[in-house]
Amino acid sequence: MVLSRVLAAFASIAYGYEPAPAIQFEEIAKRAGLRFELRNGETGKFHQIELMGGGVAALDYNNDGCMDIFFTNGATIPDLKKSGPQYYNRLFRNNCDMTFTDVTAEAGLAGAGYSMAVAVADFDRDGFPDIFVAGVRGNTLYRNLGNGRFADVTAKAGVGGPKQWSVSSGWLDYDNDGWPDLFVTNYVAWDPATAPRCGNPERQFYCHPSQFRGLPNQLFHNNHDGTFTDVSVKSGIAAHAGKGMGVAFADMDGDGFTDIYVTNDSIRAFLFHNQGNGTFREIGLEAGAALRDDGAAVAGMGADWRDFNNAGRPGLVVTDMINDGFLLLENLGGRRGFKDAGIATGLTMATRPYTGWGLGVFDFDNDGWKDLFFAMAHFTQLGHYLGRDAALPNRVFRNEAGKRFVDIAAFQDAALHRGVAFADFDGDGRVDAVVTCLNAPAKLYRNISKNGNHWLAVSVDGLGARVRVELPDGRMLSNHVTTAVGYNSSSEPLVRFGLGSQAVVKTLEIRYPDGKKQVLANVQADRIVKVAR
Amino acid sequence: MRLALFLVALLAAQDQRSPGYAAYKKANELFVAKRIPEAIQSLQQSLKQDEKLIPALTLYAKIAMTMNRFELAKDSLERALEVDANAAYARFLYGLNFYLANDLPHAQQQLELARRVNPIDARAALYLGLTHESLGHTDQAMELYRESARLDAQVETLLAGARLLYLQNRLDECAQWLRKAVQREPNSRDAHFELARVYLLQDNPAAAAKEGEQALALKDGTAKDAQIHYLLIRAYRLTNPVKAAQHAELIKGLEQ
Repeated sequence: MVLSRVLAAFASIAYGYEPAPAIQFEEIAKRAGLRFELRNGETGKFHQIELMGGGVAALDYNNDGCMDIFFTNGATIPDLKKSGPQYYNRLFRNNCDMTFTDVTAEAGLAGAGYSMAVAVADFDRDGFPDIFVAGVRGNTLYRNLGNGRFADVTAKAGVGGPKQWSVSSGWLDYDNDGWPDLFVTNYVAWDPATAPRCGNPERQFYCHPSQFRGLPNQLFHNNHDGTFTDVSVKSGIAAHAGKGMGVAFADMDGDGFTDIYVTNDSIRAFLFHNQGNGTFREIGLEAGAALRDDGAAVAGMGADWRDFNNAGRPGLVVTDMINDGFLLLENLGGRRGFKDAGIATGLTMATRPYTGWGLGVFDFDNDGWKDLFFAMAHFTQLGHYLGRDAALPNRVFRNEAGKRFVDIAAFQDAALHRGVAFADFDGDGRVDAVVTCLNAPAKLYRNISKNGNHWLAVSVDGLGARVRVELPDGRMLSNHVTTAVGYNSSSEPLVRFGLGSQAVVKTLEIRYPDGKKQVLANVQADRIVKVAR
Repeated sequence: MRLALFLVALLAAQDQRSPGYAAYKKANELFVAKRIPEAIQSLQQSLKQDEKLIPALTLYAKIAMTMNRFELAKDSLERALEVDANAAYARFLYGLNFYLANDLPHAQQQLELARRVNPIDARAALYLGLTHESLGHTDQAMELYRESARLDAQVETLLAGARLLYLQNRLDECAQWLRKAVQREPNSRDAHFELARVYLLQDNPAAAAKEGEQALALKDGTAKDAQIHYLLIRAYRLTNPVKAAQHAELIKGLEQ
């Protein structure tokens, strides 16, 4: 080992050779024709909504096997109208050669109002992914007609009201009937006419969330006929008013029912444990997932709920504000709840100087350990206090065998980043990312990591389905089907695994939410496996 | 060093000869007694008699800082520093005022100056450390906490150092600092609470529960009841779920 390091050092000196980092991205938005700017309509009057937008989705709307991109966008304030094309939501079709074409007009997706978030699922099970857009005082459900066009079915579906400020949304199958249900996180009661002004006449700034009344979240049950029933009260979800930001789904205790985690801004997070009978019990405190390790509430932003340490149980990763340290909560299983893993893995200390928004837990170098991607930016007004700009570069933390997360300083390009969606846009088996930036061009990061590692992607019909692979070397990896990833964004629905040097998966096991199980043996790597039930 | 002490003594003697000194002294007594409006009145009288009286200007700033009136405090301290740029306590307060107002670059600059004016001031070292920590300069912060503890091992300093060591996952060292804090101030709620956190992270829930209960029974500290309840939920989760649930309910009660 020592000798090889010495030789590598000599080679480096002699040939100017630097070994390639394990994870590398190149930013190619402009080259790929992905021209989108998130416009927040800021007026200098410090309206809270200016801070929060930026949802982005990776979806294959035309089922051509290439992941397309949908961006949400702002509007003018205070009328909350998309007064010009600069405020349109945008759909970009992937031309399957890593270039994109703006198809917003033909798709009918420009939208109306001040949009925040996007969530994607095939709610009517017709084989085409549909789009839910959440926003300020108005949410919209678009049905994919399968011909490149979308129809606004909000009124018929019954998912539009009440008119409040929704920040995130996500699809899950909470009752295991095989039909996607809809969860919407709501932030605070806000009205441009009556919203408080903070600071003083010389120096105004954005108000702390404590200045606003929190709102309960919403759950809509899919009636299998294109309509939904608002079950927020019946399910127990509405009993908890918060200041909802991100939402993530997973079956935390393996009881076969999908649970819900909601980050809140500056109050404790909610963990809704699915009771299996259409109701939920909020157990964030009891489970040890509600607060920072010292019992303080964080300004929670995004969340992803994944098995980050290959323990077979989904753990939580949460972004928050400077000096909080991002949360990393290990799922100990059952009654043991969650335990802080941010201190031991170095993530808390390493992320304290940052404010994070979108995130994703994906294996970017396909080595069998899921890494962390964070979309970063401080609040604009913090620049003065910190003596540096609010814009930050995004950051990737490499997972070192579940023991440490190491910042690999993957990016230098600072901006006011917000949402991020993940997908393999170029079909090379490496997970790419698309990131929105406040009042600046969106970024498309192509994963160009060079390591020869193998991978497997599994296409499963069933939100919440748990997928487990056993490798020939005995390692077990687990993941589950969800598009709700990070902050107000939606990622590809495939379940991905990095396999390292293993070119074959010994067994691939899928457990559907309805309890059925499928097992495939000796699955060849480096491809997408479509599993039909 | 001897010269510095001589100059400090000389300046103190000068202050005592000031026509505003008596009113200042009274104001200080009133401030200590938490009779703030009367203290301000007395200070105004003092400054009318001698507008350059540094102790009066610094006390005025101190009162303004306790009321989050950072701009007022800044003005008063600038007046004091105009009289004497090397007034050590005024310089320290000037830096502290920037720190409390979250203006970290200026806090760093001024607290560095305060350290230069009075290198044996443990508070200046502590707050410069806290400023560095907020700016993400953790190595410098830790060095300054050590220096501050060496000068005067106050509980506040020991806690600041321990919290940083905790974040760095240096739990054994952290526990050492906290035990020192407990030794120095057995009734420090914060010291017991932080020690409980260390035990919890070290997978010793019984010790965590014991320290946590002790913290909860104490009043003297900044750790809120809800924070301690959250710790106790996790400490009791496996061994005493009923107690854990009670602490969860107590947090919910505090939220109402």
